Amino acid sequence: MSHKHDSWGWMLAVDFFFAGMGGAMLFIAGIADFILGAGNTSVLGNFIGPVFIAIGACFLILELGRPFQAFRVFMNPKAILTFGAWNMTFAIVLGIIFASFGIPVLPWSGLTVLRKILAALCIVLGFVVATYPGVLLGRHKARPFWNGPGIMVLFFLSSLVTGAAAHILCGFIFGESSWLVSQGLILDASGSVVLADLPHITAIFLLFQLIFWVGYVWIKFSGASEREAKAAQRWIHGDLSTSFKLGFIFWGTIVPMVLLIFTQHVLQIVGACLAIVGGMIMRYLAVRGGEDRTWLPGELKYRSKLPHGDEEFMKVFVTQRRTDRC
Amino acid sequence: MAHYAMVIDTRRCIGCHSCTVACKVHNELPVDMIYNPVTTIGPIGVFPNLHMVHIPLLCMHCENTPCVDACPTKASLRREDGIVWIDETKCVSCKACVMACPYGARIPNHGKGIVQKCDFCMDRVDQGKVPRCVQSCHQKARIFGDLDDPNSEVSILTNKHHTVRLLDELGTKPSVLYIYGLGGQMR
Repeated sequence: MSHKHDSWGWMLAVDFFFAGMGGAMLFIAGIADFILGAGNTSVLGNFIGPVFIAIGACFLILELGRPFQAFRVFMNPKAILTFGAWNMTFAIVLGIIFASFGIPVLPWSGLTVLRKILAALCIVLGFVVATYPGVLLGRHKARPFWNGPGIMVLFFLSSLVTGAAAHILCGFIFGESSWLVSQGLILDASGSVVLADLPHITAIFLLFQLIFWVGYVWIKFSGASEREAKAAQRWIHGDLSTSFKLGFIFWGTIVPMVLLIFTQHVLQIVGACLAIVGGMIMRYLAVRGGEDRTWLPGELKYRSKLPHGDEEFMKVFVTQRRTDRC
Repeated sequence: MAHYAMVIDTRRCIGCHSCTVACKVHNELPVDMIYNPVTTIGPIGVFPNLHMVHIPLLCMHCENTPCVDACPTKASLRREDGIVWIDETKCVSCKACVMACPYGARIPNHGKGIVQKCDFCMDRVDQGKVPRCVQSCHQKARIFGDLDDPNSEVSILTNKHHTVRLLDELGTKPSVLYIYGLGGQMR
């Protein structure tokens, strides 16, 4: 038994991570294609973007109390979760169709106008999927750490970082599979200026991420209300501080930012991997940061007195109930 | 149409928790679920001038319902008479409402895979009875009625006393109003 206030668990953080990364991959691929034309991001990266969104959706379903009735989350157009679910669905379907244009043997791969339309749709859908978790969290009035538009920017930035890092990694994997290009099975992206510049662009995103996160926590700490200051304390001195400072800020932001500046491929690969791990840590911490509601008078004291479930009398009680049922 | 509301007179509440127990029994709640906690502030002051305030908490049945707005399955609903309830057949326990509720009034039932909450005992209210917690309160600290009826006890009390709503600054307009005062003032 647990009397702690139930809140979203790690699976939602994983959903936010994969959906954000996939959404940003679509966003980047869409922009590259729309402005510069086909073959500017790897076909693998274009395919993996919607696949990541689908993986995120699977975790979202697993988070539900009744996963087999997941279709019900599409029912209320006024709810932001429904909005997000529809967007993820469209992004998965249109993202895969868009990625299929990188396979020249398919009959529709030469339809440039259709590809451009899909690229434009991928920009919009990718942006929404990458940003909506931040909007979802920012609307919670009684969650002092989340509340406000700032979290939306942080989620979009982290999505851009992880999405760009995933594109960098896909570009390297794609490079190793160059026989597919020589056979004419997939579009060549080896000479892409986007893939060449993406590590440096990602380093700039990481710099923004560093500045925005430090600013966000500082503003919350010295901000509008005592509740916000208390919530920010967890990130500065509390239980989340080590993971935040060491895991996310140092290993997940500063180190990859430095590594991605260099031109050596090995350093760029390590930097991209660290940036992705940093994104995962950030999602987990952000979800945990919202556990604390604005407590009502006397509520914390009341909850602290309730049994946790591991007390001797509780064990006896639960055993007795099981025996009675049998 | 009625607008059901509850006035809680903290001057009368002695923190006996009989409302908590009555609610659990009536709604057949599992051991780890409580709709109606009664929190305690204090003792406040210096001996011999000590006071204690007990604050019964429950779903606030807000007029502006963040929980209903957040529900993606349309399982969370607000009736015309102001009662906020959950259609358990539609709930998938996505916990969007749990996170959106500023009052912690929604609790996931892990056994059933749904979220549950206080519904002002709407089965009893529809029969013209008062909620179980109101019936069980021997100090008459909980008063239930129609806020739109000028002759109802809740209307009279809200006009007579200065009532407060919890977290009023969030703009949720709760239908549970508190007459706040130190315990023992009604002796």
